[in-house]
Amino acid sequence: MSKELIRLRNICMAFDDELVLNNINLYINDKEFLTLLGPSGCGKTTTLRMIGGFTTPTSGDVLFDGVRINDVPPHQRQINTVFQKYALFPHLNVFENIAFGLRMQRRPDPSDPRKKLKIPEEEIRERVMEMLEIISLKGFENRRPDALSGGQQQRVAIARALVNKPKVLLLDEPLGALDLKLRKDMQIELKRIQQQVGITFIYVTHDQEEALTMSDTIVVMDKGSIQQIGTPEDIYNEPKNAFVADFIGESNIIDGIMVQDKLVQMYGRKFPCLDGGFAPNEPVDVVIRPEDIDIVPVEQGQLTGTVTSVTFKGMQYDIIVDFKGFKWLIQTTDHSPEGARIGIKIDPDGIHVMKKSQYSGMFGDYSSFSDEYDELDDAGLEPDEEESGDEE
Amino acid sequence: MRGTTRNHGRAFNRVFTALVFLFLYAPILLLIVFSFNKGNSNTVWTGFSLDWYRQLFHNRLIMRSVYTTLLVSLLATVIATFAGTFAAIGFYSLRRRKRAVLNTVNNIPMMNADIVTGVALCLFFVAFFSFWSDFAVWFNGAQSLVTLPERLTLGFGTLLIAHVTFNIPYVILSVGPKLRQMDKNLVDAAQDLGCTWMQAFWKVILPEIKPGIASGALTAFTMSVDDFIISYFTAGSSSSTLAMTIYGMTKKRVTPEINAVSTLLFVTVLALLVVVNLREARMERTGSQERRPRSQRLTTFFDSPRGRWVRRGAAGALTAAFLAAVILLTGATNAQPTVNVCSWGEYIDEDLITQFEEETGILVNYQTADSNETLYSLLKSGGADYDVIVPSDYMISQLIEEDMLEELDYSRIPNYALISDRFKGLTYDPQERYTVPYAWGTVGIIYNETMVDGPITSWSAMFDDQYAGNVLMFRNSRDALATALYYLGYSVNTTDESQIREAFQLLRDAKSRGVYQSFVMDEIFQKLEGGNAAVGAYYAGDYLTMLENNEDLRFAVPEEGSNWFMDAMCVLKGAPHYDEAMAWINFIASTEANLKNMDYLWYASPNQEALEQYPAYYEELYGEPLDPEVYEIMAAPEEVLDRCEAYLVLPAHIRTLYNNLWTELGI
Repeated sequence: MSKELIRLRNICMAFDDELVLNNINLYINDKEFLTLLGPSGCGKTTTLRMIGGFTTPTSGDVLFDGVRINDVPPHQRQINTVFQKYALFPHLNVFENIAFGLRMQRRPDPSDPRKKLKIPEEEIRERVMEMLEIISLKGFENRRPDALSGGQQQRVAIARALVNKPKVLLLDEPLGALDLKLRKDMQIELKRIQQQVGITFIYVTHDQEEALTMSDTIVVMDKGSIQQIGTPEDIYNEPKNAFVADFIGESNIIDGIMVQDKLVQMYGRKFPCLDGGFAPNEPVDVVIRPEDIDIVPVEQGQLTGTVTSVTFKGMQYDIIVDFKGFKWLIQTTDHSPEGARIGIKIDPDGIHVMKKSQYSGMFGDYSSFSDEYDELDDAGLEPDEEESGDEE
Repeated sequence: MRGTTRNHGRAFNRVFTALVFLFLYAPILLLIVFSFNKGNSNTVWTGFSLDWYRQLFHNRLIMRSVYTTLLVSLLATVIATFAGTFAAIGFYSLRRRKRAVLNTVNNIPMMNADIVTGVALCLFFVAFFSFWSDFAVWFNGAQSLVTLPERLTLGFGTLLIAHVTFNIPYVILSVGPKLRQMDKNLVDAAQDLGCTWMQAFWKVILPEIKPGIASGALTAFTMSVDDFIISYFTAGSSSSTLAMTIYGMTKKRVTPEINAVSTLLFVTVLALLVVVNLREARMERTGSQERRPRSQRLTTFFDSPRGRWVRRGAAGALTAAFLAAVILLTGATNAQPTVNVCSWGEYIDEDLITQFEEETGILVNYQTADSNETLYSLLKSGGADYDVIVPSDYMISQLIEEDMLEELDYSRIPNYALISDRFKGLTYDPQERYTVPYAWGTVGIIYNETMVDGPITSWSAMFDDQYAGNVLMFRNSRDALATALYYLGYSVNTTDESQIREAFQLLRDAKSRGVYQSFVMDEIFQKLEGGNAAVGAYYAGDYLTMLENNEDLRFAVPEEGSNWFMDAMCVLKGAPHYDEAMAWINFIASTEANLKNMDYLWYASPNQEALEQYPAYYEELYGEPLDPEVYEIMAAPEEVLDRCEAYLVLPAHIRTLYNNLWTELGI
C-alpha cells in the first residue's frame, strides 16, 4: 500500500459565520488520483484551496508528510494547481508560462549552501521542452495563450504546474470549460499524464462521470461535509445515503422496512436482498439502479406499474413507470409503449439497502423526470461562483 | 417628394452639426488666431507675429507658474497613480457589495463641484493648521529635542495634497475595470508557482493592468494641468499654477500673451487627450494582436539578464533623478530668502522682479488678487501668508482699523524720502506709520469722439438719453453710485442716506430708460476699443492702454469732480519675511523703479523725481516726446486732483445700504 501524503484533520471553515466546511477528515496517499465530487457550494473547491494554501481553515490541521502546513504560504508548498479556466498569464507566451515556476525557484549553491542559485537557463529550456513533449504541444512555445484552443490552453496549464515537479497536483474543475468530446479525450489524457509523472492528483469536479472514469478514490461532498469516501465501484454500488446514490448515477430510492437480514419490504411486499446488520423492522432507504430492473409480463412481476413516458437513448430506452404514485426510472433495451402495464423483477444483488439519513425522501423519485435532467445540464454549465471567488 | 424631404432633413442635420461645432470651437479658434496677432488687440488683426510667444517665454511670472504646474502635476500624478493603483487592488479583493459601495464613494468626488472640493479642502487645511499650531506650541514647550514649526500656511504642499486627492479617483476608475477583466485566479496561479504576493503583483498583476495604470496616470496628469478652482483655494499665497496666473492676468484685460499661453495649454491638454484616446482605441481594436512581434522582442530583451539590468538601471536612474529634482526644488525654495508679494494683475514691470532678485538674492513670490475685497477675504480666511500687499486707500484704512498691518521701519526705507509730500500722511495713514505709496490715478469718463457731439465734460453724459444704449456703467455699487453722487454734487463719502437714495434714483431711472448698454468692469476694454459703446467711466491708466488700440477715444475728469485713488505698499502683521519686505518696498520706492512702473502701468508714480523725470525718460526710451496731454491724463495736475476725492471706508450701515440698493437695481 502506498504511504499517506496529506491528511486533513477535523477541518472546519467559516466565512462570515457561515459554516462552509464541517469537520472534514481525509487522508490522501502518494500517487493517488483522488477526486472531490459534489454539487456547487459543497465545499470541494474550498478544500482544494486549503490544500493549495490559498485559504486557512478556521480550525483543524492540514498535514503534509506528517508536518502541519496550515500557515505555509502557497509558494512554499510542494503543491501546484491547475486552475479553473486555466489562469494562464496572458502577457507571456507558452514557453514563458511554463517556465514561470522554474524562474521563480532558487536552490542552494552546492559550493556555498548559504547562497541561493537560480535554475540555469539551459535546464529551464530542457525541462520546458520536455513538458511540451508530454502535452504534445511542441512548436507552440512562442504562441500567446489567447492564440491557443481551449484544450491546448488546458494542457499548457497542466504543463506549467507539472514542470515544477510537485508532489501533488491540484486540479480545480480543469475540464469544465471544454466541450463534451474534448472533455472525454482530456480525461484519458489526464489519467495518462498522472501515470507517466507518477504523482498525486487531487481533482475537483461536479461531474460524476468524470470522477468515476479517472479516480482511484472518490470523496463525495455535500453541504460542507464528506458523505462518502471510496473507490468508484464502492461509491456506485454501495452508496451510503440517498444523496450519494442520487448524485452518482441514476437511482430509484424507495422507503422500505428491513424485516430481517437479507429481506426488505417495499410496497408491502418482501424482496430478498444481500444486505444485513439492521435492527429488525428498521425503516430504511432502498436503492435500485435503473439498469438492475428487469421488465417481465405483469403476472410474473414482483411489482406492477404503468409506463408514463418513454425516451429513446440510443443504447437503451429510459422509461418512467408509475408504481402506486411513486415513479421509477428503468433502463431497458426492450421497448414498452406508453400507457402499458408492466411487471418488474429485481435480483437480490440489484437491491442496496441504506440507513435513513437527512437526505431520505429528497431524492430518487422521477415524478419530475425531465426537470431533473435540465437541472443536471445546468449544473454542468454554471461556474462555481461562490466557491472560487470572494474568499480572501 | 419624399426624396426632397429627406434631403432637407439631411441638410438640416448637417447645418445643425456644423453649428454645434462652430459654437464649440470658434472661441478657441479665435483665441489661437489672435495669439499670433502682431498688435495687442483681440478684435483687430494687424498681421502675423510670434512676438507674444517670445514675450511669454520671457515672462517670469508665467514661466514660474508653468514650472509649478508641471511639478505639482507630475508629483501628484506619480503619488496618485501609486496610491490609486493599490486602492483599486484593495477594492477588487473585497466582496461584491462592499466593492460596489466603495466604487460609488469613489465616484462622488469626481461628480462633486470643484468649488465644493476646493472650499472644503481649504477649510480643512486651515482647521488643521490651527490645530497643528496648538499642538506644536505644546510639543515644543514640553521638550527641547525637536522643534516643530508652529505656523503652517497654504502653499505648494497643500496644493500637492489637493491634487493628489482629486486625482486618486480617476486612477481607481481606470485601473478597476482592468482588474475586473483579469482572471481572478492569476494571482493565485503566480503564488502557486512560487511567487510571494509582491512578486505576483510585479510579474502578473502589473503587466495585466498596465494599460489601465497608464491611462489613469495620463488622465490624472491632464486633470492636474487643467485644474483651476481647487488649486485656487489650496495654493495659498506662495505658489500659483498656470491656470491661476492666467486668471490673475485676465483681471485687467485679455492680452495676446494670455492667448499665447492659453493656446499652449490647450495644445498640451489636447495632445494628452489624444494619446489617452488612441491608447484606449488601440487596446479595444487589436487586443494587442498587431503589436505583438515588437512588444515580444522588447519583452524578451528586457527579460534577458542584460536587459533586466538595463531596465533596472533606467528605472533607478529615473527615480533618483526625480527625487533629486524634487529635493533640490523644495530645498532651493526653502533655503533662499523670500518675500511674498500680493498685488494686482499686470501691476508691475516684471523686469523689476528679476532685477531685485539679482541685486539682493531674495526670491520674490509674486501673486495677484483681483480686487481689494478678494484680498481682504483671503487675508481674513487665514490661508495666505503674504508679506507685502498693495491695497487701495479705503482698504488700507480698514486694515489698519482691524489691526492687520505691521508698522514699517522707515529707517530701512530711505527711498521714502523721494515720495512727494503731497502723497504722504493721507487720510488712510495720517501718521505715516504703515504705508509707502505705490501708484495713483484718477477715474474719469472715456468716450469715443466720433460717437458724441463735442467734448464731454460732465457726469451728465452717464445719465443722458442722447447716448441711450451706448453707455457703460461700473458693475460695482461704490463706483456706480459715485458717478451719480458726483453729478448731484454730493461727496462720495457721504453718510446722508437721502443723498445716497437720490443718487440711486438717478441711476435706476437711467437704467429703466435704457441708457446703459451694460454694467461692466474689465469688459470695458473690448467694448470701447472696438467702438461698440460711446461712453464709459474707468481709470485714467486704462484709458491710455485703450488709446493705443483706438485713437478716437478721449478722456475727461468731469468738472463736478471725480474719484482719485492711491495704492500703497503695506506689510501684514506677523509677516514671516519682514526684513526682505523692507528691502522690496525700498527697492520699489526708488526713482528708477517708479519710472519703469509708470511706463509699464500708465499710472502715475507718487515719487516726486519720477513724476518730474518721466517725460524725459519717455523721450529717451521711444525717441519721441511724450504728448503733454497724455502726461496730464496719466498724472493729473494739481488743479484736477483738487477736484477729486478719495474713497473713505463707509460705516457699516451705509455699506449695507449700498448693498441693498445694488440688489434692488438688479444687476
